[in-house]
Amino acid sequence: VTEIDPSVPSRARRGDEQAFLEIVEFYYPRCLRFARNMMGNEQDAEEAVQDAFVRVHDSFPRFREDARFDPWLFRILANRCRTLLSRAKRHRSLIEYGEVPLAVASAAAPIEVDDDFGADWAEEVRIVLDTLPPEQKEAFLLRHVEDLSYEDIAAITGAGLSALRMRVKRACDTLRIRLAEVEQRNGT
Amino acid sequence: MELERDETIERAVQALAVMPPRDAQAVSRVMAAVRANGVSRAPRPSRLALVLEWVRQPSLSVASAGALAAAALVLGFFSRGAFGKAGAETGTRSALEGQPTGEYPVPAGAIIPASNSNEVRAVPVPLVFEARNAKTVVVVGDFNGWDESKTPMVRYGTDGPWTATVLAKPGRHVYAFLVDGTTLVADPRAPRAKDLDYGGDASVLMVTPP
Repeated sequence: VTEIDPSVPSRARRGDEQAFLEIVEFYYPRCLRFARNMMGNEQDAEEAVQDAFVRVHDSFPRFREDARFDPWLFRILANRCRTLLSRAKRHRSLIEYGEVPLAVASAAAPIEVDDDFGADWAEEVRIVLDTLPPEQKEAFLLRHVEDLSYEDIAAITGAGLSALRMRVKRACDTLRIRLAEVEQRNGT
Repeated sequence: MELERDETIERAVQALAVMPPRDAQAVSRVMAAVRANGVSRAPRPSRLALVLEWVRQPSLSVASAGALAAAALVLGFFSRGAFGKAGAETGTRSALEGQPTGEYPVPAGAIIPASNSNEVRAVPVPLVFEARNAKTVVVVGDFNGWDESKTPMVRYGTDGPWTATVLAKPGRHVYAFLVDGTTLVADPRAPRAKDLDYGGDASVLMVTPP
């Protein structure tokens, strides 16, 4: 089950705190997965998810009851991720263990991975993912990891369908090339 | 499968699609933040309400309240009534004319408590504490006068973490959790306080202005 019973957001919209708790319990793991993939580190991801739920709670009176909850939630979450990403890009200067800051990740540069760290496939994928332009990364994650339709992604991002298809295609092309390099280097 | 989703992309998607486990503490933190946000957005009392509350204080005698009310009436009369037209004619405007609608105007300088304009406002801070076997947990700290009755924590579910939201002014605060009314425990998530005067473990809370 990827979508919550529509009666739950309706109850939460009317101020039922138990219903809001059900929403947080239901969506937290999925929201954290998206935010973690977008932000590249756990702390920022948790901050983005928490902020998103606070905003959802604040904005519930404006949520149309006949609308689907998932795209609305992910629109708010994606906005928070974008805001925090741009803030991180401006302010982050320290490289934490295991992370590649976006500021130094060049789209054209080959990926350097220190084998001593023993990075596994998932880490390699995340490092490569972080080299994508944010809008491509966002479209790729929403389409292929969160399994949303292009119509839903258009509602979330505000971008047109053809632009989104192009972003996803370019993301896939770049990932394919760079992950092939990684596999070649690792001899897999 | 879509055209662009070949074996490499499929493997990448599988790596990225691993779902984080359910996390009761994280959910609890979110709910605490939501509640704290509700506190910070609570409507501020109107000036009239502040005046009425001040007048109702037990320390204020009926006679002095009456005198203040009379003074307010006189000031109100002068500022809005008797010289209103004269002010308009000379091009001056009463400061009260700029008041937003929906509130009763209050005579300037009369009886508004001195606190509201420049007072540093307290910030809601959510706290989470794990104590599975505890029957009660209370937050005590300098922000609530170390009063054991002021900030009881609420348990998330039947055996989840304890949560509470405290209101603390920007600055450095010292606090602790009082478990079952007897044991003072420092917050394992926060730096330990060294200059404690309460007689037990405690933590430091740094609150930044909103």
